[in-house]
Amino acid sequence: MVLGFAAAAIAMLIALIPAGIVLCRGDLAATVVAFELITAVIVMVLALLAQAFQRPSLFELPVLLAMLMFGSGLVFVRAMERWL
Amino acid sequence: MARDVFSDVLLGLAVVTVAGAALGVLLMRDAYQKLHFVTPAALVAPVLVTLAVLVQMGMTENTGETCLALLFLVIAGPYLSHATMRAFRVREKGDWRPGRNEAAATEEKEL
Repeated sequence: MVLGFAAAAIAMLIALIPAGIVLCRGDLAATVVAFELITAVIVMVLALLAQAFQRPSLFELPVLLAMLMFGSGLVFVRAMERWL
Repeated sequence: MARDVFSDVLLGLAVVTVAGAALGVLLMRDAYQKLHFVTPAALVAPVLVTLAVLVQMGMTENTGETCLALLFLVIAGPYLSHATMRAFRVREKGDWRPGRNEAAATEEKEL
């Protein structure tokens, strides 16, 4: 295990606590912003964990999530614009 | 050894960037201001993480896949920010274009 990468992944998750507070307590617009931030950071956390545990197959997950982030973000934003 | 130190420094910078962005999202007043703090976490920090992987591993398959994730983030980030800000404006004003009032936009939507 590469310790630096695992430590960075854990530190990033801890650093997301303020965004989590916004996600839980903010209004709708602030919640969408927090969602976008958290999704972008989780892509990095997955890459860091894959590197930390030296599992090449796990590197598929950040690529997949980065692709899905775009689609899901646009769906949320469009729904917010039209219906919410 | 030097490779590990350089990689750790890059990772530390990425963590600081994410922490600053998350604090910005928490502390800023409205959603427009908060949205500006997503960009460092969605663009700068992934570049630092990719560089850290590159320094640690060299040009391997893992680095390539991390670069691919970075590419998607770099492409998607600005589009998503623009779409989000446009949605905020539509919710507030009824239309994203300046000078069009809410009544006209509502009438157009009903048609």
